[in-house]
Amino acid sequence: MNKQQKEEYLRGYGVMKSQGKPFFPYAIAKDSAMACIVMVVIILMAVFLGAELGPKADPTTTTYTPRPEWYFFFLFELLRIIKPPALVPLATIGIPTICMILLFLLPFYDRGPERRPERRPIATTAGIFTIAAMGYLTYLGATAAPPTTIDVPVPKNVTAQGAAAVATYKAGQQVVAQSGCGACHRFGEAGNAGPGPELTKVGARLPAAAIQRTLLNPTAPMPSFAGLQQTSPQQFNDMVMFLSSLR
Amino acid sequence: MAKIKVPAPPVPDQLKPKPKRPGKTYGPQTPVEHGAEAGASTVGWIDERTSLSGGARWMMFRKVPKGTNWFYTLGSATMFAFLSQAVTGVFLAMYYDPAPKGAYESIRHINDDVFLGELVHGMHKWGSSVMVVLIFLHMGRTFFFGAYKYPRELNWVIGVVLLILTMTMSFTGYLLPFDQRSYWASIVGVNINGTGPLVGPYLNDFLRAGPYFGATTLSRFYSIHMLLVPGAIAALMGFHLYLVARLGTTAPPWLKPKTAEALREEEVAA
Amino acid sequence: MADRKQIKSKYTADRQIPGAFEGETVTRRAFMTTTGQVAGGVAAAAFLLPALGFAFGPVFEEYHQPWQVVGNTEDFGPDTYVPRTINLVEGIGDSGKSTVYVRKFNPRVDQVMKKQDEYNNYIAISTSCMHLGCPVHYVNAAQRFICPCHGGVYDFVGKVQGGPPVRPLDRFYTRVADGKVLIGPRFSVNSELQRFSPRDPGEPLDGVGQYLYPSTPDLRKIPGTGGSQ
Repeated sequence: MNKQQKEEYLRGYGVMKSQGKPFFPYAIAKDSAMACIVMVVIILMAVFLGAELGPKADPTTTTYTPRPEWYFFFLFELLRIIKPPALVPLATIGIPTICMILLFLLPFYDRGPERRPERRPIATTAGIFTIAAMGYLTYLGATAAPPTTIDVPVPKNVTAQGAAAVATYKAGQQVVAQSGCGACHRFGEAGNAGPGPELTKVGARLPAAAIQRTLLNPTAPMPSFAGLQQTSPQQFNDMVMFLSSLR
Repeated sequence: MAKIKVPAPPVPDQLKPKPKRPGKTYGPQTPVEHGAEAGASTVGWIDERTSLSGGARWMMFRKVPKGTNWFYTLGSATMFAFLSQAVTGVFLAMYYDPAPKGAYESIRHINDDVFLGELVHGMHKWGSSVMVVLIFLHMGRTFFFGAYKYPRELNWVIGVVLLILTMTMSFTGYLLPFDQRSYWASIVGVNINGTGPLVGPYLNDFLRAGPYFGATTLSRFYSIHMLLVPGAIAALMGFHLYLVARLGTTAPPWLKPKTAEALREEEVAA
Repeated sequence: MADRKQIKSKYTADRQIPGAFEGETVTRRAFMTTTGQVAGGVAAAAFLLPALGFAFGPVFEEYHQPWQVVGNTEDFGPDTYVPRTINLVEGIGDSGKSTVYVRKFNPRVDQVMKKQDEYNNYIAISTSCMHLGCPVHYVNAAQRFICPCHGGVYDFVGKVQGGPPVRPLDRFYTRVADGKVLIGPRFSVNSELQRFSPRDPGEPLDGVGQYLYPSTPDLRKIPGTGGSQ
């Protein structure tokens, strides 16, 4: 904004202001009504949602799945999707700091005189994009399952075989999930993409016998499940059954 | 439709106040009269010594531009949510014990035993969410209306600082109930700070008051949550409001001021 | 302009200031301004610096973790981990505890160090994920440590197998005395499992990492046990 534009704005604003109404009581009335709405919302939430208190903090737990408050979900999801260890500081400090600096300096790099959102296409698009991105990250963070669960719908060929097959499938799914296979393999929406191959449709590629051979005698760095076969063959067989029915 | 003005009925002579005799002192005489005037005279006494009425008039009777709509209430709503947080927080502090051995039990006590305890705790808990939502809506309004532009740049910067402080409040308040969720979220949050190169490790130790979560970590978070940050928020909010009154709230961007000619024509027509 | 500059001498007497002393260079106004700023600064520093020092004190105070018994030597085998609870911080009850996974040194998977020392006969692995400190748990079937937060996975010796963690799981010094296994202070390891002073999660130790994320004075490794072994 150059000096002429500044003066033009101030003059125009002066005219608009002189045609306006006094803050008290006209704007105050709206503000007070809004304050009432805010308090009603807060009290209704307090009454109906309560102040639920979880189990007491236990630093010795190894089974708890920490999740943040909803307004930090976007940060949480950012940490989840940025996988390479070298980029961790970028996700934790880098991106939030850059966003904050961009936010701080907004009035200093966006200095055009135009104020109507439809005539500031770049700013409006950037704003909508930011809101959409944060909303999407929040949604992903809110629905994120812990990596020790795999959410793959039961395939039709398994449901066709009856309830017993479905139970075996579910049991195998649990063993696979809790064994941390998702660390290196992808199962549909769950798990990391690599270094291992995607297993979403592994049953279509490999017969059960081949899957069993790989589990017992894998190529490094995959661990062998021979120990599991000895200690609890039932779990091992469930696991093979689950993997071979993924197709 | 024109309003019909009905003249006031005539007051009988006996009920009319008698005119004062010359030489008599004016103002309230009897205790009853003094009582009736007490409010006005107290305000007058204070104003004679502080001259605050000028400032109040400047703040309250300034004009807001044409077209001011409900979007403009988001800022004051955020402030109201902050006030609600401040008041409920002060009263929660009366029952809360910021020690690792007692924190969880004291919150349990507030929830289960104290009269209206769960309500006040719930209002504080959900009030924080409402305040975060409102502050983002307020920021969105400011952004899309271009209200951060000249001459209100500084107010935008203060607003961003207030946003960061509010997020700091949410983060530090999080640990205080000391349940699993708050403990682990705080551990992660502290470690996020630690990933800042060079200063990160020191910042972590400062936040925890040592290398591990220790005896004074909770009271440290508590002090930041209820003294340091709210003080800064209140001060900056005051400055934010001063600038709003000084510069005026923006008009909606789609309204254009009438030109001088149009104004004159309007005046002539009237 | 030029002649005006000429009269500006550094001596107040030359500048025709009333009541100037011979050889005086500081005007009274400048003197009072400086006094105001310095005295105000000193007064503010007098309460700010001690208060800040008070708040930052714990950062520079070395923390000594006592050795504590976690079991008999025969409780721990070389092929699987046994979880044990230890006290990280005394005096705050359960909040100061932590879980460690303990096993016997296993020459098949653990590299024998050049300087094999007394602290390595048992391996004690911290349950704090080296991404951001979430609690990891050991899955026996897969011989993996899994973190529930952001998908970190570690192999049997604690090296990163997948996900975002920046270094292998931290360890604790262990010692054997009278047939008991004792656990001492924590230390961090880089991807070659060399010992470093403890760092917080999220702080890499490979390459420039150890310089970008310096160890803090409040937690040190046992002297002479670090570096390449």
